[in-house]
Amino acid sequence: MKICSPEGQAVSEKLLQAVSRPERLQGLRIGFLDNTKAPVDKMLAHIDKRLQERLPGIRTFHASKSSMAVPATAQVMGELRANADVLINALGD
Amino acid sequence: MISTPFVGLARNQARVLGLPSLPTVVLDHPIAGVAIDKVLARVDAALDEIIAKLTTALPAPDIAAVASNRLRCERIELAQADEWSDLQIEFAARGWSDGLPLVPPTEARVSAMVGGSGLRADLVIGEVAPKMGVATVECIAINAVMAGCQPEHMPLLVTVVQAMTDPIFNLKTIQATTHPVAPLLIVGGPLAQRLNINCGSGLFGPGPWSNGVIGRAIRLILLNIGGGHPGEIDKATMGQPGKFSYCIAENEAASPWPSLRAERGFAAEVSTVTMLDAEAPHNINDHESTTAGGLLTTIAGTMAQNGQNNVYYAGEPLLLLSPEHAATIAGDGFSKDDVKRSIYEDARIPMSRFSRENIERRLWRFLPKRYLNRPPHTGVTVAQCWKDIMVIVAGGPGKHSMAVPTCAGSRSVTKPILKPDGSPWLPSDFQEPVSG
Repeated sequence: MKICSPEGQAVSEKLLQAVSRPERLQGLRIGFLDNTKAPVDKMLAHIDKRLQERLPGIRTFHASKSSMAVPATAQVMGELRANADVLINALGD
Repeated sequence: MISTPFVGLARNQARVLGLPSLPTVVLDHPIAGVAIDKVLARVDAALDEIIAKLTTALPAPDIAAVASNRLRCERIELAQADEWSDLQIEFAARGWSDGLPLVPPTEARVSAMVGGSGLRADLVIGEVAPKMGVATVECIAINAVMAGCQPEHMPLLVTVVQAMTDPIFNLKTIQATTHPVAPLLIVGGPLAQRLNINCGSGLFGPGPWSNGVIGRAIRLILLNIGGGHPGEIDKATMGQPGKFSYCIAENEAASPWPSLRAERGFAAEVSTVTMLDAEAPHNINDHESTTAGGLLTTIAGTMAQNGQNNVYYAGEPLLLLSPEHAATIAGDGFSKDDVKRSIYEDARIPMSRFSRENIERRLWRFLPKRYLNRPPHTGVTVAQCWKDIMVIVAGGPGKHSMAVPTCAGSRSVTKPILKPDGSPWLPSDFQEPVSG
């Protein structure tokens, strides 16, 4: 029997070229994006503290989504681009 | 950073969003609800990996991994699957199944289904999250065949896909969240009866009408085109029965008030479908109250429960009033807006009913203007404003209404069911009664 597949194809999946990664974090600006899931804010603050202890001279910048259920706004992403060289994000419960 | 059950979802989204090699650090699940010192110990243990992942070069993009541009659904020869039972096994093995028997989507059935739409087979209606699969008319029709739909259902199904892929509906979250949400179809207007969509007794239940197959077709579209496979991408902790099929019509004939579509500006001859990010419905039993005030006291009391998303996030909780309850309330001079205002004011949960953690980390954080440092008797609302509460009349004889909380980050979308020339589909456009 010949049948039709119900799977919709993705027309053209985007493929982004990532910017080159830094070889070390010293002197860089570390960004943190809180997805508002519990207890991500405390986890990211803890990573911030530990990184500051281990890598003196780094700067950090924190941003938050308005809700876990929606994407970060263009404003939040713009602030991260302006204030961070690398970003730590969190997903899930 | 991801907790273990969400790795598949994260990898899927990294690929869909264009960076399949996105570095990830996986922490043991669960995170929420665990003592913070234990969570931070896991973070400490992962710190070297976090630093390494931030400073390790990513592999070059794999161009070959990019999907080809195909708007015609694949044809598959199933040489060993001529028997009905063999086909069902084959469908399940391919991940196409909702667990119930499926109608084989043969070329002839699909062609007839496409014909019901009045549209070209390769016309793109939308991209269905989170896979962002392309919902062509043909692909919608294939899933409609598998669900057991009739060609006459196609204009509605196409409109539903238009509504679900509206960005304000936020389908990506609805498809992937741990919350037990399913898109609820609320059909209004003259087509509802013509398409045999039940708005009366037992409208959420089984019966010889079209609600079941229409809702099922949408679930198959979410599964097969949107990639919302349970456990892998659909991370619902519990799910709910509405994830099989969730389609009703508004009982406009029994309503003393303007219909939902009239509230939203559509003319009487224009049929519509409204999509809502809905939890399962919950009963509101009141056989004794004989006044609007009495009934609304029961309704507000039922809707004011503190485990729902609507207390923390803007949403549109839905109240389905039975015709008898609606008549009693309207008989006391209440408009639909009066009902909404009454629920907004009275369906409140004292903050003392919330745990300290939820007060501090949800109510104070997300809604500080309303709740920060307020006394324990402060009432927490189930909507952010009275206009966000949706009210329709539905069901048959009896003293049971229903309340449906919603998820988060989504707004309901109402779309008219239109022909290619922009005029509304009318009951007279269909030749024979449609059976479910």
